[in-house]
Amino acid sequence: MPGKTPGKEPVENGIRNNQDVDMTDEKSSMKGKGKKAGKEGEDMTVVVPPPKNTKQSSQPPPADAEGDVAMDDSDKVEDFEVKVDPVTQTIADIKSNFALLDRAVALFDSRFSLRALRSISSLRKRLTPDILAQVISETYSPSSTSASVAKSLLQAIGKGDVPLGSQSGAAEMEIDSDPKAASKNGNKKETKEVIPEVDLFLSILVQVYLFDSKQFEVGSNFSKYLTDRIHSLNRRTLDSLSAKAYYYFSLFCEQLAPLPPSPQSPIVGLRPILLTALRTAVLRKDTDIQATVIVLLLRNYLLTSHISQADLLITHTQFPENAANTLVARFLYYMGRIRAIQLRYTEAQDHLTAATRKAPASVCALGFARSATKFLLVVELLMGDIPERATFRANDMEEALHPYFLLVQAVRVGNLEDFETTIADHASTFRRDGTYSLILRLRQNVIKTGIRMMSLSYSRISLRDICIRLHLGSEESAEYIVAKAIRDGVIEATLDREHGFMKSKEVGDVYATREPGEAFHDRIRACLALHDESVKAMRFPMNQHRLELKNAQEAREREREMAKEIQDGDLDEDDLGGDFEGM
Amino acid sequence: MADRTLQQILNQLKSNPSLPYSEASSLLSKAKIALLQLKAVTPTPNTSSAHLAVARDVYEAGALFSIRARDPAAFTRYVSQLQPFYELAASALPPNHAERNKVTGLYLLYLLTESDYAQFHSELEALGTRDVGGVETENDRFLGYPIKLERWLMEGSYDRVWKAMKSREVPSEEYGVFTDILTSQIRSEIASSSERAYPSLPLSSTKSLLFLDSEGAVVDFARERGWVIRDGQIYFPSTSGAPGEDGAETGTEQEFSQMVIQNTLGYARELETIV
Repeated sequence: MPGKTPGKEPVENGIRNNQDVDMTDEKSSMKGKGKKAGKEGEDMTVVVPPPKNTKQSSQPPPADAEGDVAMDDSDKVEDFEVKVDPVTQTIADIKSNFALLDRAVALFDSRFSLRALRSISSLRKRLTPDILAQVISETYSPSSTSASVAKSLLQAIGKGDVPLGSQSGAAEMEIDSDPKAASKNGNKKETKEVIPEVDLFLSILVQVYLFDSKQFEVGSNFSKYLTDRIHSLNRRTLDSLSAKAYYYFSLFCEQLAPLPPSPQSPIVGLRPILLTALRTAVLRKDTDIQATVIVLLLRNYLLTSHISQADLLITHTQFPENAANTLVARFLYYMGRIRAIQLRYTEAQDHLTAATRKAPASVCALGFARSATKFLLVVELLMGDIPERATFRANDMEEALHPYFLLVQAVRVGNLEDFETTIADHASTFRRDGTYSLILRLRQNVIKTGIRMMSLSYSRISLRDICIRLHLGSEESAEYIVAKAIRDGVIEATLDREHGFMKSKEVGDVYATREPGEAFHDRIRACLALHDESVKAMRFPMNQHRLELKNAQEAREREREMAKEIQDGDLDEDDLGGDFEGM
Repeated sequence: MADRTLQQILNQLKSNPSLPYSEASSLLSKAKIALLQLKAVTPTPNTSSAHLAVARDVYEAGALFSIRARDPAAFTRYVSQLQPFYELAASALPPNHAERNKVTGLYLLYLLTESDYAQFHSELEALGTRDVGGVETENDRFLGYPIKLERWLMEGSYDRVWKAMKSREVPSEEYGVFTDILTSQIRSEIASSSERAYPSLPLSSTKSLLFLDSEGAVVDFARERGWVIRDGQIYFPSTSGAPGEDGAETGTEQEFSQMVIQNTLGYARELETIV
């Protein structure tokens, strides 16, 4: 394979300048040097580093700083095939997905498209504009109706001058290392059009590439165009793919200046698009897009702190029941956050617990698990519970949760001073996690715990001592606070105003109350719910039960025959026992 | 034309804040008509920034007037009309932090008096991400006030709330409107906690406890809540008297066993379906 590539330089230039080049350029190149360029794409052995867009390079890294929640963003470690040339390997990999998509359409089974989508994360690191351009040019023929689509794809990756090399490329490829795929592709093109699923799959790859190379501006423009096109298509087999496209669109918008908390951020402009997508999805009973878009919208609202809008969205939509697990986890997480802000802690705790449990256990979703756990901890504290120590010892969590650990300690002891210093020390961390305002609400819990500790340790204590120990402003404050605590059922005690002390009541036996029974019931209910869910989650192949029925029928017949034979005496006890003795 | 009348009305509204509400509201409706003529009722991309500023000022003035007139419905209307203006970029409409914080602070206080804590915290969350004019949200004169009040209310430091309302900490006279509502609110809070916390209270100290002016007022208040006054002591009608308590106990006992039976039957049924 020739190492040096003659056409490399101009193409590189093309990356920089041609982003908005119009069609004329492409046409001329298509006619003129179609063959050459086709060859050039094939010869590329060196993986060209992704073009840097200087304008955006100052942006913060996308996934780490902000996207704690974006599970797909952290990839698994990729083991490269050392033996095979990475470029051809990648191209072959991409193309192998086309077959999956074809099957998805033919069999009308979304599992195949999901499998194709799953391969994106492994392809992701190997994508370069050249690989993409080559795949695109080999997939589309210039005469096909979707040629314009292909051109827009090429333009987006800055390869507007690569022609849609149909057979010309294929001819050369046969000599090259990848003849099978090429000839297969060539044949396919002659017989039928490229299906929209493949279109969309390639578009998503382009989106992924643009996102990874930080070309957010180009990416969002491309995505806008893409979503417009998605909207005009109505194919159920596209659903899972289009959901992905919306997902990346939203990611692009989040990275564009001015960044999210500002109300002028482009994500605000994204809302109408997402809302229309949601409406269409609901009308088409398209659960994939529905779930994705609801999650995206919630994320969108929360980024700009439009809590009431988010709440309205939740009350007016129904999250599809059979959505993908990752989406359910995200939805629960956002729900939990919203409910926590609205002081509906019990609901928040339910949602967040479910979110942490549903979060994928693999390393790729660590950020999500951490973030959800942080919120869960704060909500538990707000409810007056003390989180278990084991939570903080979990793998990969210890360091991230350290500030929260200190916080829990302060709350547990009821030490207001420690609490204040912890907040002051880690204010920036809490702010970044979005838990700051929730943590500020904890002050009252610290006081309540403090009072509870006092009430447990002393049978009678003067208000003055309470005031000193909890660092409260004045004795009067202490009196009001204790009175409120008694009313709220935090402690069992009475106040004596004349003498200024608090007298604790005897604490009853917990096991004499209904509390253990309730805790038991809660656990059983959780287990039953888990069982129900897993039963629901099981998937059965279509019409398989008929086969089984048939088998069962046969087995029964055999049995009957055997029974008959026994009855007839053909097969008597000795016969059966003989075998046994022989052993 | 509309421009000039608008400016006139605005000056009139701003120069004498003690205008009777009826006059102010008629001026405000005129201003709104003028805004309609200028197509500046809600911000659109091609509204000029001068018009936007005028529209915002009109709404802000309207919000303040409606608060002074104790018309919460009108006030919330103005606040929601102001929202889109506050979302605009600084380049389209130079922000006026002082006025904005004043209105937002009033809105927070209003939510507090309505005990709409969910909305209160939603607003607070939005404030966290916003630039409120160079200072921390809590340190702002207008915004810090409702935030502190809320914290003290939740904590139960009612004396601090009381002091804050009485002292000069009240950032502007509009905030004073809510004082009465808040006072009665904390008074009933204190009363309900006292009922549970104290076996009995001397009349004299109840006066200071409830921030009432005279013992007569205490007696009135006690009668309102159905408290019994005997020998200068207030006794609270126990919510669960001795005989009543026993009855309740057996009632809950029965309820409890019923629940246990129900649960166990439920488990049995579920087990049946699983196995």
